[in-house]
Amino acid sequence: MPLRPIRALTLLVVAALLAGACSSSAMLEDHLVVEVFGPYREQDAVHFVESLEPFERTTGIDILYVGTGSFSHDLQNRVATADYPDIAVFPQPALIRDYAHQGLLVPLDDVSPGQQMTSIDDMLSGVVGGERYAVWFRAVVKSLVWYSPPIFEARGYAVPNTWNELITLTARMRDDGTAPWCLTMESFAATGWVGTDWIEDIVLREQGPEVYDAWVAGTIPFTDDRVIHAFDTFGTIVHEPGWVFGGTHRVLNDPWQDAQSPMFDTEPGCLFNRQASFQQANLPSGVVVGNDTDVFILPSMDGGEPPILASGDLAAMFTDRPEVRALMDYLATPEAGRAWAETGGFTSPHPDFDPNWYTEAFDRRMGEILKEADVVRFDGSDLMIPSVGTGTFWAGMVSYVRNGDAHAAAAEIQAGYPEVTHFPVVPSSDG
Amino acid sequence: METNDDHTNDGIAPTAEMAPISHLWNKIREREEWTDEERKEVLDELFPDDHRIVPYTKRFATLLLLSTTIAAFGLIANSAAVVIGAMLVAPLMTPMLALAASLMYAQMKRFIGSLTLIVLGTIGAIATGWIVATIAGGSLASTLTPQLAARTTPSLLDLGIAVAAGLAGGYVLAHKGSGSSLPGVAIAVALVPPLATVGVAIEIGDTTAAVGALLLYTTNLIAIVLSASIVMFVSGFVPDYVRQIARGRIGLRLLPWGLALVVIAVPLTLHTRDVLRNEAFVRNVTSEVEKWDPQAAVVHIDASLKGDRGAVSMTIATTADRQPAWRLARSIAVVHGINVDLAINYQQETTDAASTN
Repeated sequence: MPLRPIRALTLLVVAALLAGACSSSAMLEDHLVVEVFGPYREQDAVHFVESLEPFERTTGIDILYVGTGSFSHDLQNRVATADYPDIAVFPQPALIRDYAHQGLLVPLDDVSPGQQMTSIDDMLSGVVGGERYAVWFRAVVKSLVWYSPPIFEARGYAVPNTWNELITLTARMRDDGTAPWCLTMESFAATGWVGTDWIEDIVLREQGPEVYDAWVAGTIPFTDDRVIHAFDTFGTIVHEPGWVFGGTHRVLNDPWQDAQSPMFDTEPGCLFNRQASFQQANLPSGVVVGNDTDVFILPSMDGGEPPILASGDLAAMFTDRPEVRALMDYLATPEAGRAWAETGGFTSPHPDFDPNWYTEAFDRRMGEILKEADVVRFDGSDLMIPSVGTGTFWAGMVSYVRNGDAHAAAAEIQAGYPEVTHFPVVPSSDG
Repeated sequence: METNDDHTNDGIAPTAEMAPISHLWNKIREREEWTDEERKEVLDELFPDDHRIVPYTKRFATLLLLSTTIAAFGLIANSAAVVIGAMLVAPLMTPMLALAASLMYAQMKRFIGSLTLIVLGTIGAIATGWIVATIAGGSLASTLTPQLAARTTPSLLDLGIAVAAGLAGGYVLAHKGSGSSLPGVAIAVALVPPLATVGVAIEIGDTTAAVGALLLYTTNLIAIVLSASIVMFVSGFVPDYVRQIARGRIGLRLLPWGLALVVIAVPLTLHTRDVLRNEAFVRNVTSEVEKWDPQAAVVHIDASLKGDRGAVSMTIATTADRQPAWRLARSIAVVHGINVDLAINYQQETTDAASTN
């Protein structure tokens, strides 16, 4: 009798080992498989694939997702060797335009005709001869200013409604003894992108969407007075003594993720951080969005409805098979983002995405901002040709912060364009 | 009072054809002639139930404090020799054998006394480990030393060791003249080092490691008490008249320990399965690396599986152009059905070296 537990244990061990041995069988046998290549890794990769599970269940089509930390570089190598994935999820749509031009992407003429998303989608559809090549899957809202509601309340500050109110409050904060702006730009080889977002937001506010579109398309050069003016407006903040925590040395040398940390020191070091919705992932541990920090939309110049700068990830297909089209169809629906939204950390660009699918209030709010905005524009540097958008524009922002010469920086950036210039982009319809 | 004839009366005389395990079992069951006085003497040595309890407890506390201190320093310094030294000084085995004996004899006073001492000793040893770790402070890395880490992931192997050590402990007790083997039993089934590890892990803030080390200790405790009880019962250390009275109730007394052993076997089994799966996973990844880049040598690989998802971090030396990581990740997924988070570090291949003297 005393040995019975030991016998039971032996059985348990054998059963467990058998279960372990049977669990790993090679996948993808006798199934249609669609390979998706994208920038999501680790937890994001899990969320992305989870969001496609309903598609796999209902169609029986398997998805092989391959994520890489060097998306742009790796995809270009794959394309160079004609090793195309079925679908690629692009974090920077400039490559979509290049590949569409080269005839490598399949036009989405009959994918989800009823699923027009926002004006951004229209803009992309204008890339090559009016054809649509991509669906916007995941959205990021960029025109945000992070601040601390408890500090605002304690010091009697109000969220500004116009650019002038923002500048007035900035001056008041400095007079009260705190550097107003938390601003850092260091991002390894991509250092400077934080500055490009500033310029894009300012051009959009000062000059409006038409000028913005023409500038992004390359028909208005960086050396144009209207763009130079945006540099000067940014310079008012970044070069004004005492307006940026740590001065330009910190702006250029500290990681962009750390910009806002001094806001939560016992004696706050700075009070504003203009950064995208993904800043949520970089907040110091213990900081709760909605309590310790919150966002307001970077105000418009005149107090009107502020335009929204956005970015995100777009899917486009390289191969034309029925199962690949089926997946593109699915990616174009709001349901494609549901599982990820339920996990948190995902904002859908779809106006008809059910707000109840968001489990995090912040994600829901980002969805509402995109849905309700009169003017939404995609991140300009992501759309500009790579030699500018991810080249001289980044480097030029570093030069500008360092020496404050807007004309020199603009000329440096403009030199990134080849002699024969831009691709035509059809301006989008607003609202 | 039994006689030496008893061991043949059970009808299982050892024969040459007998399987080794049955043979071993019969050796364990071999009976020794004990008088009641001799038994009482052994039991009192294990855990006195009279005035001698006071010096006994003092000695126990002193040795436990010293052995845990030695063990904790040894673990932090990553010295196997020091940790083994601590095991030789450790006094926990004695009240555990007393607990096993009191279970068989149904001696409630000794049972409660020895159990209380074990519980207090366990808490004291963890606290000592924590204090030593606090004192060591600066010499503690944020990661566990291999000696510490080895005690945080118990498997079925540890259960097997503990069961065998419990059998050995019971055998040593029930067979006169085997006493010199007890230190060996104590080394085989370490009790103090896992407790010291719990204390150190708590100080570092590594809850998972603390739980793992506590699981190892609990495994050892339960397995020792259970298997030593069984040996004492079958080998004649428990007299026939007690066996007659207890018949039918012995199973009941051991049942909670047996159930505890089964409960504890569940996480151990899962962990063992994980270890086997991990080893297979590492083999699969390594074979895919060979196909992915025939020039590559895996210098270091850290791979773990959680469910059907693997995490691999490896250092590779290659003389060829670097291959993209995604291609290796895709091969692992397609060929072996395991989705993977892959991180590759490259080490410069040393192709030239020279020295003069």
